[in-house]
Amino acid sequence: MMLFSEVYGSYFNAVAAILSKAVSGDLTKTDIYDIIGDKAFAESTLNIPNTLLSGKWPLLTEQMHTPLKHAPSMPLTTLQKRWLKSLLSDPRIRLFDVSCEGLEDVKPLYEQDDIVYFDQYRDGDPFEDPSYIQHFRTVLTTLREHRDLYVRFQSGKGRQHVWECTPYRLEYSLKDDKFRLIISGGDRPGTINIARIMECVLLDESDPETLEIPAREKANVVFELTDERNALERAMLHFSHLEKETIKLDDQHYRVILTYNKDDETELLIRILSFGPMIRVTEPASFIELIRERLDMQKKYLSSQE
Amino acid sequence: MAYSELIKDFSKIRNYMRQFYVYGFKTRGEYEAKSARSYDNEKRRIESWLGEYMSFRQESAGKISYISVDSGKVGHNPLYNAFKAKSFTTNDIVLNFFILDILQDGESLSASEITDIIAEDYLSYFSEAKIIDEATVRNKLKEYEKEGILKAAKDGRRLTYSLEQDKIDLSSWQEAIDFFSETDPVGVIGSFLLDKLPDRSHVFSYKHHYILHALESDILCTALDCMSRDLKATITLNSPRKKDMQVYEIIPLRIAMSTETGRGYLLAAEMSHKRLNMYRLDRIEEITPGEVAAGKAKYMSDAEVYIKYLWNTSSGRNQSTYHLEMILHIEDSDEHILRRLEREGKHGSITALEDNRYRYSIDVYDAGEMIPWIRTFTGRIEKLSCTNPSVTETFYHDLDALYDMYGGEK
Repeated sequence: MMLFSEVYGSYFNAVAAILSKAVSGDLTKTDIYDIIGDKAFAESTLNIPNTLLSGKWPLLTEQMHTPLKHAPSMPLTTLQKRWLKSLLSDPRIRLFDVSCEGLEDVKPLYEQDDIVYFDQYRDGDPFEDPSYIQHFRTVLTTLREHRDLYVRFQSGKGRQHVWECTPYRLEYSLKDDKFRLIISGGDRPGTINIARIMECVLLDESDPETLEIPAREKANVVFELTDERNALERAMLHFSHLEKETIKLDDQHYRVILTYNKDDETELLIRILSFGPMIRVTEPASFIELIRERLDMQKKYLSSQE
Repeated sequence: MAYSELIKDFSKIRNYMRQFYVYGFKTRGEYEAKSARSYDNEKRRIESWLGEYMSFRQESAGKISYISVDSGKVGHNPLYNAFKAKSFTTNDIVLNFFILDILQDGESLSASEITDIIAEDYLSYFSEAKIIDEATVRNKLKEYEKEGILKAAKDGRRLTYSLEQDKIDLSSWQEAIDFFSETDPVGVIGSFLLDKLPDRSHVFSYKHHYILHALESDILCTALDCMSRDLKATITLNSPRKKDMQVYEIIPLRIAMSTETGRGYLLAAEMSHKRLNMYRLDRIEEITPGEVAAGKAKYMSDAEVYIKYLWNTSSGRNQSTYHLEMILHIEDSDEHILRRLEREGKHGSITALEDNRYRYSIDVYDAGEMIPWIRTFTGRIEKLSCTNPSVTETFYHDLDALYDMYGGEK
C-alpha cells in the first residue's frame, strides 16, 4: 500500500486525459499542451509531449492515434478506499450526503480514536445536531448553485439578525473546530457562525460573475525574534499559515514581517504574547501600544506575587 | 544523470521543502547540500511543482528562495504536488494503460495472455516498440493486485487477473473529499481522489490552516496502517542532538496532532526500554512495518493514562505530575475570557471565587509546556503557582523581561 506511487502521479493523470481524448478521436497537439498545463507541473511540457509523440512511450502515434480501446480508468486503490472508510466514522461526514456503497467490506485506514488533536478547542460545532446539519447543507447548496440566502441568526452578543445575502465561502478552522459562512461583498459583508444560524432558506440564483470577493483589511506586524529555547522553529511553525518574510540579522536574531487579517488582531496579539520576551514587536506603534496595555493591566498583580 | 522533475526518493526533497516553507531566509550557500548542483536541481523541481508559490528576493548575502503561501486564500494544499512527482519507467506507464485497457471489459486473463495481447494488439501499432516480456507483465500484475487495483483468482493451475470491483460513487463524495483533503492528516489521499474527478469545487476556505504536515504524509500513512493492523514498526529518527540517525523498534499507538502548528507526533511504545515515547513525525526519516505486536493491549491501556496528564506532548523527565494553579481576574464585561479558559483549558478545572476572580487548576506532566498559553492571559493573572517552581520563576522572569523590553515600569 504505497502512498508515494506513480499511479497517483500528475504524469499518469495527464497522460490518461490525453489518451482519453485520443480514444474519442479528436486529440490535437494544442490539447496535449493544454492538458499538461492543467494536470501536471510547470516543466512537464518539456517532457511529456516529446516522450509521447516520439514513441518512447508507445501509447500514442504521431498521427494522434492510440491502441487503447477505452478511455483510461482505474478502480480506486485499497489506500483510497481505506481512507474514505475512515471518514465515515468522522462526525463531520454527516454534513455531506455521501453514498457508502462499495465500502462495506473495507477496513478503515484509521479509527477516530487513533488521532488526537491535543490543542483543539473544546467548544466545537455540534456536527451531529439535525438542525445544524440542515443549516449546513442549505448553505452548501447556496454555494454550489450560486444562490442567495435568507438567514436568521444570533450574533455573538446574543442579538438576533435577519439577512438576505450572497454566500462566498464556508470557512473552517480546525483549531476552533467551527464553520463560519463568509458573506460576499456588497451591502452585507461579514461572517456568520453556522452554529448560530436559527433559520435559513434558499433564495434566487445570483450571478457568479458579479460575486464580490469579501475584502478583508490586512495589516502588518514586524518583530525581532531571539532564537532561544528553540523559539525560531516554534515561531516559524506557529505563524507558518500567514504570509511572512523572515530576515536573518545574526546567528541568534531574526526580523519577521507578518501579514494578518485586521479582524484577527486580538488573536495575533495574544499569540505574540505567548512567546514572551523571545519576540519583540518593533512596528507598528499601535501594535506595541496593545502589548503595553496588557502589560500595564498585568502590573497591578505583580506586587501580590512578590 | 540527466535532470528530471520527477523523483524516486522523497526523503531528500522533503527537507528542502520544509526549509523553503518554514524558514525562508537561507541563501543557497546555507543549505547542507552535497553540491551546488544538488541544491539547484531540488529548487528547480520545487519551482516546477509549486509554480506561483515559490518566491525569491535578493539580499546582500545572496538570493533567498522561499515558499510563500497565505493558507487562508488557498483552497488546495500545494505541497501535495510533491507526492504526485514519483518517477517511473517506460514499462511502468505503458503497462499501466495497456493492462487496465485490456481488462476493462471485465475479462479475467493470465499474465501470459495479457503479454500476448500487448504484443499483438498494442505494441504492433509502433514499429520500434520493444517487446515486453511476460515476467515484467507478471510483476506489474502482482504489484497492482497488492495495491487493490486488480484481483487475482486461481482457475485450476492458471492464475488470472481482472479489475477489482469499484462500486463507489465518487461524485457523491466530491464536497466531502474536498473538505477532508485539507483537514485530514492524510488528506493527500483525498487530493489523489480529487484528481480523478472532472471539476473542483470552490466552496471551502480555511483559517488556522497549517499545510506543512503534508510532507510527512507517507510516514503518517504507514504508521496508521501499522496501528490498524496491530504491527510493530522500525523507525529511523533524525535527532538534532545526535550526530547519527537513531533506529528504534516501536509499537505505534496514537497520532497526536497540533492544531496550532500543524505538527504531528507518533505516540509509541519503544521496545528496547519498554516505555512510551512521542516521536515528532517530521523527525522520522523512514518507517517500516514489522511483525504483529504482541502485548499491544497493555501499552494501549498505558497510553490512555499517559495521554490523560499531557498538556501538549511532553511527559517531562520522569513522567511525574505537577500541580499548577492560576488565579485570573475576569470582569463581567470580559466573559469571553472565561469562555476561553473553558474551551482551551483542557482537563483543568475552573472554580469561581469572590470578586470576579477564578481559579484554574490542573495536574500535568510538564507544566513548562503551559507557559505560552498562560502568557496569553497577560493582564489578568493575579497569581500563578506550581509545584514545579521553575515554571513560576520562568513566567515572572520573562514578564520582567517584557517590561524592560517595552519600557514599562515594574
